[in-house]
Amino acid sequence: MGINLTYIPPIICGVSFVLTALFARKVPLASSLISVFTILCSFILFIFILTDFLSSDLNSIKFSIDWIVVSDMRITWGILLDSLSVTMLGLITLVALLVQIYSISYMKGDSRFGWYFSVHSLFAAAMITVVLVDNLILLYFAWELVGLGSYLLIGFWYEKRAASEAAKKAFITTRIGDVALLIGIILIFKSTGTFDISSIFHIARNGGISENILTISTFLIFLGAMGKSAQFPFHVWLPDAMEGPTPVSALIHAATMVAAGVYLVARMMPLFSLAPYVLDFVVFIGLFTFIFAGTMAIVMHDIKRVLAYSTISHLGLMMMSLGFMGVASAIFHLIVHGISKALLFLGAGSLMHEMDGETDIRKMGGLINKMPITAITFIIGSVSLAGIIPLSGFFSKDEILLTVFEKGGILILLPALAGAFLSSLYMFRLTFITFFGSLKNDNSKVGESPILMTLPLILLALLAIFMSILLLEISTFKGFIYFISGHKAHLNLLLIVFSSILSFVALILAWFIYIKDSKYLIDWYKSKMKWNYNLILNKYYIDELYQYIINQIIIRFAQFVALFDRLVVNDIGVDRSSLSIRFLGLRLKLIQTGKMHGYAISMLFGFLILILTWAIL
Amino acid sequence: MIDLIHIQILSAIMFCIGVYGVMTRRSAILILMCIELMLNAVNINFIGFAAFRDFSESQRIFGHVIVVFIITIAAVELALAIAIILRLYKNKSSVNIDEVDLMKW
Repeated sequence: MGINLTYIPPIICGVSFVLTALFARKVPLASSLISVFTILCSFILFIFILTDFLSSDLNSIKFSIDWIVVSDMRITWGILLDSLSVTMLGLITLVALLVQIYSISYMKGDSRFGWYFSVHSLFAAAMITVVLVDNLILLYFAWELVGLGSYLLIGFWYEKRAASEAAKKAFITTRIGDVALLIGIILIFKSTGTFDISSIFHIARNGGISENILTISTFLIFLGAMGKSAQFPFHVWLPDAMEGPTPVSALIHAATMVAAGVYLVARMMPLFSLAPYVLDFVVFIGLFTFIFAGTMAIVMHDIKRVLAYSTISHLGLMMMSLGFMGVASAIFHLIVHGISKALLFLGAGSLMHEMDGETDIRKMGGLINKMPITAITFIIGSVSLAGIIPLSGFFSKDEILLTVFEKGGILILLPALAGAFLSSLYMFRLTFITFFGSLKNDNSKVGESPILMTLPLILLALLAIFMSILLLEISTFKGFIYFISGHKAHLNLLLIVFSSILSFVALILAWFIYIKDSKYLIDWYKSKMKWNYNLILNKYYIDELYQYIINQIIIRFAQFVALFDRLVVNDIGVDRSSLSIRFLGLRLKLIQTGKMHGYAISMLFGFLILILTWAIL
Repeated sequence: MIDLIHIQILSAIMFCIGVYGVMTRRSAILILMCIELMLNAVNINFIGFAAFRDFSESQRIFGHVIVVFIITIAAVELALAIAIILRLYKNKSSVNIDEVDLMKW
């Protein structure tokens, strides 16, 4: 029953968007309930789909209806249901459901309460469509809609200048990648004549796409994924996107939209696997982003920005795994990270909710006694992401490290381990500074958040602890890695021991620095390595560099184009030609004398000239 | 013996008289008459060709038919033109077309 209803979730979410957008102003609470209800229905449908899918031997299922048919080209509304899309569907509907429930309480009293929920519905519809569609053109449409949803939600408080600037920045930065993605899709279409994903794979495997085209188009598709997943040159938008409401950051900028890039690469993996140079590039970008964003997460003072850089860093880790064709481990880390990071963002939102929107961790501290549920769930989330052994984050990270070790060897593994060490360190730093230490005086009246906010936190924390059960074999289910890739998972004991030792070292280091308050290390770092500290604190001056490029090159060029437009196109092309016609008209109108004889004579002579030319020629 | 060439010369002379008249006369009535002259010169040309060339019967009838058409159209045109000239005379008390140059820039 479930599988035939796969097309329902995006449709009901879309309908919910239209309904709530129409009535949001009149009945904000009702529209929020509609939105939550539809996403709840989607989640229940997901459970039916999942049970059906598991009982049908994991065969991928495809059904589609024609939309546009032009001779050989056909564009369809179609659904491709395989283990990858089922997993993503589950992650999206679950996180969206919990975030929306949380938002009812978090956004209470906001002037655009109803509109917030209708954009959430739009985003959910688009995001579900991205993971379910069977052809690239529809995927691109949904991809753009996801970008729109992100834009609207980042700029939700558009009265704040920073928020509207951040929304613009996010939209334009991801846009650059999107254009590359579109070109890549068109290139593939040109050489295969179809948009259908599985047909493209079939053609590519039989050598229907030349190697150059394959390399270029997968590279362009990866650029699109880099834009959405905030990989290195495009990472600048994600930290700024934290200007949006915190639940939005939990949904879009931790669990779903930024995961779309990872999903896209995983989905197109059969194409990427035929383009080894692009895979090397994916590994390089992933590894670099993993470490690069990790260093920034260590020095930031804004709780949401720390989480944002951590997200970028972990997305880099997933990309690296994809670069080694470890789709299963990347997707497993994607869902574990999605759950844990959503938990952390919601926890941060809970803190901000009680502290009047304060995000600076230096003004927090000792909050564990004031907000026990938030604190404990937050600690679970960060311990999971830091990779301490029994939690699911450890296993997912370990799967990736194992893939890296097997495919890339020790030379890639060492920097990856360094990145993992960084990610443990900044997670513990964040937790220790926020929840331990001494309570600040301003925060003496802080209390626990309402039940609607703590309930999703508790659920997500339980998931963050027990997700690793998915890796085990339970009756017919042969473990998550088998579910995605068809291979059994295996473990490398040496790697497990080594990476857990590394995480514990990070824990102890963070303990000494931030709880025992041994200023020695920090002072040494800040004084001796001042240039380095400032470099990282200013985000490696990449924003400034981009601003410089925009000012010096793009705006100069735009000014030149504007000048050309004014002087050549407008003055000469338009004004001059119209003026010359006007002048000609002024002279020529004098011919029209109104004297009949003049007309008769000119008629006669005209006729004679016509006859003469005809006779001569 | 009268031949096609004589008819054509007659037609040409009549047409030239007509053109000359249109060019030189000032009175609207006279110009109209000259136009009629030109039309009839054409008619004579048609009749001449129909009578003196060795066309088949069905093609010969063609020339006659066109002449009848031209006569009809000339009559209609004349009626219209006379009406316009009458209105002109009522307004200006003159039919001298040099005085009528309202239709200029």
